[in-house]
Amino acid sequence: MIKFEQVSKTYPGGQQALRKVSFHIEPGEMAFLTGHSGAGKSTLLKLISIMERPTVGQVLINGHDLNKIHRRQIAYIRRDIGMIFQSHQLLMDKTVFDNVALPLVIEGFSRKETTKRVHAALEMVGLRDKIRNLPIMLSGGEQQRVGIARAVVNKPPLLLADEPTGNLDPKLSMEIIRLFEDFNQAGVSVFIATHDLGLIARMKYRTLTLKQGQMITDGLTEDWDSEQTPGYQL
Amino acid sequence: MSLLFKGRPQGVHSTHVGWLQRVQMFFLSHIRQALTSLGDLWRAPVASLMTIGVLGLSITLPSTFYILVKNAENIAENWQQASEITLFLRRDTASKDANQLVTKLGLWPEIDGITFVPAEQGMQEFQSQSGLGAALDYLDENPLPDVILVKPSSQHTSPTAASKLLEKLQTERFVDVAKLDIKWLERLYGFLSIAKELIYAVALLLFLAVVLIIGNTIRLNILSRRDEILVMKLVGATDAFIHRPFMYTGIWYGLFGGLMAWFAVVLLLWWMSGSIDALTAQYNKQFDLTGLHFEALLIMLSVSVFLGLAGSMISVHRHVRSIEPK
Repeated sequence: MIKFEQVSKTYPGGQQALRKVSFHIEPGEMAFLTGHSGAGKSTLLKLISIMERPTVGQVLINGHDLNKIHRRQIAYIRRDIGMIFQSHQLLMDKTVFDNVALPLVIEGFSRKETTKRVHAALEMVGLRDKIRNLPIMLSGGEQQRVGIARAVVNKPPLLLADEPTGNLDPKLSMEIIRLFEDFNQAGVSVFIATHDLGLIARMKYRTLTLKQGQMITDGLTEDWDSEQTPGYQL
Repeated sequence: MSLLFKGRPQGVHSTHVGWLQRVQMFFLSHIRQALTSLGDLWRAPVASLMTIGVLGLSITLPSTFYILVKNAENIAENWQQASEITLFLRRDTASKDANQLVTKLGLWPEIDGITFVPAEQGMQEFQSQSGLGAALDYLDENPLPDVILVKPSSQHTSPTAASKLLEKLQTERFVDVAKLDIKWLERLYGFLSIAKELIYAVALLLFLAVVLIIGNTIRLNILSRRDEILVMKLVGATDAFIHRPFMYTGIWYGLFGGLMAWFAVVLLLWWMSGSIDALTAQYNKQFDLTGLHFEALLIMLSVSVFLGLAGSMISVHRHVRSIEPK
């Protein structure tokens, strides 16, 4: 589903964010990406959503080389990727319904179809009753779930999440992760960047670890737990 | 269709609808966006009115002048049609020759009508109108020549054609002097064409200013909605989709600005009508101000909508592109 081949990214100014990163996430897989702040997690996700382009190497989604995607085509690529952000990126002056409906409106769905899908997505994240609220009236966890509903409302085959539990307490974080598991079980590939190691430790999923732009481990949480340096422990 | 996932439907293609419905949806989405833009204008009435005012007044000025000049041209045309050529015949012309000339000229296609004023008749008129009366009786002979008043046909009333006719008449035997007083008409025409060019230049500059002002207003709009644009780009909105509401804003500015200009012109002309009537009365002319037809309204509206759209397009293409999620 997502394949990195010897990808390096150097920002203008010489800061090397990624160095020769290679990995492959299979279709239908759920994986975590972890590492310290500044290790390159965000850069890696930005390369997948084409917010940045790699300096060297190839990023492939479903076998398609993203280097060959023209600027004008980026919008269509992003419709295939549901993205979830730590800062939610919700429109604060629009209702929950309008926020979740945005991707459908952009794709030109009919009003009827849009309403149906928004209701279904909000049902999944348990916010059916908040549909007419403004995001500002919701708690942090609820706002994050609105963001998730928006990411899945057009049923993308791939979900990317950047620190989706960043501001949440462990219980809420777990609920969010359970949501991702539900989507994963429905066949969606899920890739989550987080530094919440405690959360990962409780689950057995493949975890990729970045350190100073290099991929240092790639494996199941169990293996990773025993091999890690003490600095990474909770 | 998805670029990355073969067979994954995107957007309207996922719901099985016919092309007719798809066209319908396209227009519906455009109408929806247009109304949303209108709503945005409505929610910031003061700012919107100021922009519309700038646009409206900028179009009012050249439109008013244009209509005035157009009407002045119409008047000039009326005057010119009344123009006559006066032929003074040689003193020694016999009345028989004069009558022959009148008959001959009457056959010319360039000439519409002829009035023959014999010397005696001229003298009588002069006597009765000048007030000299009996004093003129002391003259040994009539000093006035026979006069023929020639009215050119409608195709020969323009300054150039009339001058040609004048030259031709000049070469006639028995004609001493032929006179056509069109110099002042030529001057008026010259003045009007300069006025017209000046109006075009002023209009061009004002229109340019309008495009820049609209462009700047839309730029501020775009910047104030930066976050929204970022989110839209993140969830897969194309540039065209993001451009659309701003373009509609430009169109609305243009439409309202054009309407405002129309009303301003009507008001201005109504206000000036008193002095215009006073002026035209001096020339004994029945004169109606023309140019405020439905057609003129359409032209003004389309010009202002075009200006609004042009301003927003320039701005949108420059600024939406620079807002990219990082």
